Amino acid sequence: MSNDNDQALKTRRGFLAGGALLGTGLFASILGASEDRQVATGAAILDTTRPDSPDPRVDGGNVILTACLQCNTGCGIKCRMQDGVVTKIDGNPYAPWTLLPHLPYATKAADALPVDGGICPKGQAGLQSAYDPYRIRKVLKRAGRRGENKWVSIPFTQAIQEISDGGKLFADVPGEADRVVQGLKSLMTLTDGKLAKAMAGAVKKIWDEKDKAKKAALVAAFKSEFAAHLDKLIDPDHPDLGPKNNQIVVNWGRLKDGRGDFYKRFAAALGTTNAHGHTTVCQGSLYFTCKAISEQYIGGKFSDGQKFYWQADTENSAFILFVGANLFEANYGPPNRTVRLTGNLVSGKTRIAVADPRFSKLASKAWKWLPLKPGTDTAVAMAIMRWMFDEKRIDAKFLGCANKAAAKAAGEDSWSNATWLVAIKDGRPGKLVRAADIGLIAAEKRKVVDKETKEEKEYDEKFFVVMVGGKPTAVDPNDDKAAVTGDLFVDATLADGTKVKSGLQILRDNASERSVAEWAAIADVKADDVIAVARELTSHGKQAAVDIHRGPAQHTNGFYNVLSWMSINMLLGNFDAKGGMIKATTYDTGGKGKWFDLKAHPGKVASFGVSSIRHGVDYEKTTLFSGYPAKRNWYPLSSDMYQEVIPSIGDAYPYPCKVLFTYMGAPTYALPAGHTNIEILCDLEKVPLYVANDILVGSSSMYADYIFPDTSFLERWEFQGSHPSIPNRVQPVRQPVIPPIPEDVTVFGQAHPANLEAMILGFAEYLKLPGFGDHGFAEGKPLKHQDDLMLRGVGNLAFGEKADGSASLPDADEAEIGMFLQARRFLPKSVFDPERWKATVGAAMWPKLVYLLNRGGRFEDHEKGHKGERHAHPYAALLNLYQEKTAGTIHSGTGKPNPGVATWLPVRGYDGKEPEALRQGHDLALVTHRTITQTKSRTIADPWLSPVMPDNGILVHPDDAARLGLAAGQLVKVVSATNPGGEWPLGAGRTKAMVGRVVTTQTVRPGVISFALGFGHWSTGAGDLVVDGHLIKGEPRRQAGVHANAAMWIDPALKNTCMVDPVGGSVSFYDTQVKLVPVALAT
Amino acid sequence: MPMTRREVIQSGIAVGAGVAVSGAAIVSARGKQDHADASGPSTVRNLDTLKNIPAKPGEDPLMRMQRDLVKAMAKPMEQRHWVMVIDQRKCVGCHACTVSCIAENHLPPGVVYRPVVIEESGSFPNIKLEFTPRPCMQCDQPPCVPVCPVSATWKRADGIVAVDYDACIGCRYCLTACPYGARTSDFGEDYQAKAAIGADGQAVAGAQATPNEGKPSPEYGKSWDRKGHASPAGNARKCHFCLHKLENGQLPACTSTCIGRATYFGDSNDPDSLVSELITKHNVQTLLPHKGTRPRVYYIV
Repeated sequence: MSNDNDQALKTRRGFLAGGALLGTGLFASILGASEDRQVATGAAILDTTRPDSPDPRVDGGNVILTACLQCNTGCGIKCRMQDGVVTKIDGNPYAPWTLLPHLPYATKAADALPVDGGICPKGQAGLQSAYDPYRIRKVLKRAGRRGENKWVSIPFTQAIQEISDGGKLFADVPGEADRVVQGLKSLMTLTDGKLAKAMAGAVKKIWDEKDKAKKAALVAAFKSEFAAHLDKLIDPDHPDLGPKNNQIVVNWGRLKDGRGDFYKRFAAALGTTNAHGHTTVCQGSLYFTCKAISEQYIGGKFSDGQKFYWQADTENSAFILFVGANLFEANYGPPNRTVRLTGNLVSGKTRIAVADPRFSKLASKAWKWLPLKPGTDTAVAMAIMRWMFDEKRIDAKFLGCANKAAAKAAGEDSWSNATWLVAIKDGRPGKLVRAADIGLIAAEKRKVVDKETKEEKEYDEKFFVVMVGGKPTAVDPNDDKAAVTGDLFVDATLADGTKVKSGLQILRDNASERSVAEWAAIADVKADDVIAVARELTSHGKQAAVDIHRGPAQHTNGFYNVLSWMSINMLLGNFDAKGGMIKATTYDTGGKGKWFDLKAHPGKVASFGVSSIRHGVDYEKTTLFSGYPAKRNWYPLSSDMYQEVIPSIGDAYPYPCKVLFTYMGAPTYALPAGHTNIEILCDLEKVPLYVANDILVGSSSMYADYIFPDTSFLERWEFQGSHPSIPNRVQPVRQPVIPPIPEDVTVFGQAHPANLEAMILGFAEYLKLPGFGDHGFAEGKPLKHQDDLMLRGVGNLAFGEKADGSASLPDADEAEIGMFLQARRFLPKSVFDPERWKATVGAAMWPKLVYLLNRGGRFEDHEKGHKGERHAHPYAALLNLYQEKTAGTIHSGTGKPNPGVATWLPVRGYDGKEPEALRQGHDLALVTHRTITQTKSRTIADPWLSPVMPDNGILVHPDDAARLGLAAGQLVKVVSATNPGGEWPLGAGRTKAMVGRVVTTQTVRPGVISFALGFGHWSTGAGDLVVDGHLIKGEPRRQAGVHANAAMWIDPALKNTCMVDPVGGSVSFYDTQVKLVPVALAT
Repeated sequence: MPMTRREVIQSGIAVGAGVAVSGAAIVSARGKQDHADASGPSTVRNLDTLKNIPAKPGEDPLMRMQRDLVKAMAKPMEQRHWVMVIDQRKCVGCHACTVSCIAENHLPPGVVYRPVVIEESGSFPNIKLEFTPRPCMQCDQPPCVPVCPVSATWKRADGIVAVDYDACIGCRYCLTACPYGARTSDFGEDYQAKAAIGADGQAVAGAQATPNEGKPSPEYGKSWDRKGHASPAGNARKCHFCLHKLENGQLPACTSTCIGRATYFGDSNDPDSLVSELITKHNVQTLLPHKGTRPRVYYIV
């Protein structure tokens, strides 16, 4: 019988084999004397003379509630300790992630102690990430070539000084004797806030000028106006590149609020505009398409779109079509969504269908599986929409609502622009028609507060137009008094000759380009299956939804895949309805206007200029515009393009980078074609200084010049946030549980664990950065320790959402405070000092803070998530079925405008062409999947997870295996047109072949192969290191399996990056075609 | 159900290949045990668990089961009978139970009490994945018990088949006798032993950073410190429904962490318990019923 990746568990031998790799040995605790306390249960169970267990199982003095970060689901967890050592992790019953319904928030902490919620295996094994023997405790400085993995440990203050001051920092490294490294000081050229503001304003004028000659004149004017300061700029001929400060690039992987506030404050204080996240390696195009859908019409413009997305209200839906979502194993995620689904599946309340090229565990519970070809999401969505339009099974009442008032009258919270008229120019839908422009109504002078200047300014409100009974009618989208209900389908010519269509009409036209059968044929799914799914979707009113994750998003056509699926939800009118589309709602930690303004940053210098990943601005507006194709893509609608951070540095486009900071990121491992990043990181010219922050020597931080140690998720603070499928307002708090593994250092005269915050505070102190120190937040409000920010963030949560404090939490009673202190008795003063904490938040806030931390965050009670059949925290705003803003952007590679509505596009490279040449001779479509035991780069540290799945292998359908003459278990190399050698070049002359064993299985679509992410490591404890002359061997266990990201296509035009979604910004994870080359078994 | 002869044989081979401990000397040293479990009033636990959290309709099954558990603990040990019910329709094959059990009972490499077997059948596009968690079946006629030369394993009155590691001589007869392969042998290994070699005392924290591995296991409410190859290293090990957690009013680790709520646990002597409701349904099965072992783990299919 063929099998799944979990084959090790078919027999218990998997455990034995896993065990055989490991030897024997026992370690003593480093954590002080035992405080064993007897529990008198043993005698009742076993009648022997052996002593009773010292495990204080249900004892508040040994339990701290926090939030997991083994993946980004961020489940509430309960850490149980023995002598200050965490030995068991369970679910926090106050958190809606792990118990359904979760315990009422008012439940006394002692009463909640015996109740454990459910968490996944990674969560269980989390303590092993914290207690990983490969954790680093001191700053490591590179002592060999980049990638050679030779290090010396150096004092924290030395690292801060060297990176700040620059110089011949690596004079001891062969070949670098004379290499002078520019430090932060020399790059922080623009520190004058007034000057920066003036320059930023002048640059904005340059960008807003459309005329080429006038633009050139504005640049000349800039140069004369700021003649004395041109040396502060990267390039005076292109002032819009901004100051040299922008040559410091600050990048992160998994960064949550709290730490995010710290890190972004650091970037702002350095004066760089380059603070970039990693969203596009996850499901960027899901976020940025939903951002485009959520743009609001404010002051005559579309703005304020939210980087977020919606999911199905899992616990209340009657039918959900999951697309490229694998929520039993990943996708924010297993505990919180599984518990909301399995009971309903068994009771018959909920039915699901799954569209995925791989038969996932989720698909195994589905009524119907649509095994679509990778990259053809839009075709399936179009088939469904075509059928919905033809059968008139759309929510006409919802779609007709053209403004807020109409939505209110119809019992809706949100409304769409489906009926608004779009001008059709040369056959192409472009701008939305303005009523004042066609003489329907006079423009109205209105006032709006400018977001940058905070000043009120006047603008002309021109209104949009809908047809009402065939008559053009002006509509104000935000008007909550005069309801306007538009005609759904409009294809007309206005009196002034303008050809117009409603957005819904344009969508229907697109869906009608092919028959259901023809659309189904593109995806190679059965038309009857698609129709059956469409019928189910349209048979449950608003309690049906399409729930998508990274499957549709991680393609070159990701934006339009997501928009197509989300358009179905708009046709279903299910937004804000119980059982329909739902968004996440969190308690605010920022506190502005309430308790403590955490964002206050006195002395902050306004950053400006083109970002290093060219986002948030149209290429055409900048002085770099020089026709098409642009050297690299520009992203006016998206941000946080991970795949652009290092490769853009490699191309020095738009400008060279001098210092790169990374935090908790592994771009080399996580990105498709991540190996291109290794080559750039190893290049001392392109990346003169690379500073990483990591808990160990990771697959990217191993290329750094300095690695600052960090505290793991069990040793630090963060505000985890929520996910759309959690209906309640929540904010899980991650708080220190165990004594930090890294050493203590001194910052601003105080002991502090050597972590991200210490690194930032160390630089802030040395460079005298604004927004830190004695008056970091305000006069007399210091930011000199992590407590200063984190505890105040917790205070904001405890204070609540009401400015008058009426939503404050109650005070913890004496018993709860006692429990709180007792549970933290092993924490050093650098982390926990009750007197310091009390002083930081004040005596009045202290017991409220304890109340909140004893519950692991703030969580609204379950029944408050809904009001009748509606969400209690609705989106309640405009949904852009047609996106004028998107339609106004231009593809930088082709010069062609991007469509503003759901549109079928095949997989394409940056040159706009289908990658036919790359496909030649490579006929297997390569996709990836997540398995419950691994989170991409970090969970390989946990040995408890290895017996469940010791390695991954490559899933191949038996028909393909037979055709290619491959046998189960055989070793094969993954090879593509852009990686014909099938190897990872690891730098310093080392390579790792992409070789895995064939796992034959019916669970992948024929023609598709897949591998689970999280295996095949070369660092993160898998590779050998030399520290201070001592060789530290890597663990073979962590090298097991294959990581085939380096086989994923390098875009033929971009040359040093994977293929990209030019609109939504996502990386292409699922478009590559490969072949499998048999490898002789190594002896 | 998927318990092939080959698997049993394999597990036998694995055992044979392991570090053999000479039985005879230890048998005589440890002697034949006579297990008189505590019973009667001394085993009654009047726990106030959940007393202050009022039951509500629609509450999580975990809460309902914990209430059932507290109720059962208020009876003398011999009046409760623990059973487990696993709803395969709700199991999502996540292995949370497997790893939670490893963590709770401090299991070393090679020892697992509750694997989840995943089986694939059918052919594209008509495929089935089945997930079968496999704890000890806590048989009413346990074949592992009579083969033990030192009576180190026995059936308790509350239904649990227990092992006294101090009595166990590590002969592994019970491993072969169990038709479910539910027992594994503890070879005295450690998960992190070979990690970060050479790091000790250096900048990298090294083995010092794994203090959790040195903590004693709380099984049977006793302190099992493995230092120096002491018990349970060298012994046969198996699931005991987390007896030590039950005593504290808590569900077994596999049950409380089940993200699909596929695992039910409770007292089948209580007609009002959730498990009593479940095990009478027509779609309930046991594994290898023809073996006559009378398993007390039930599967809903």
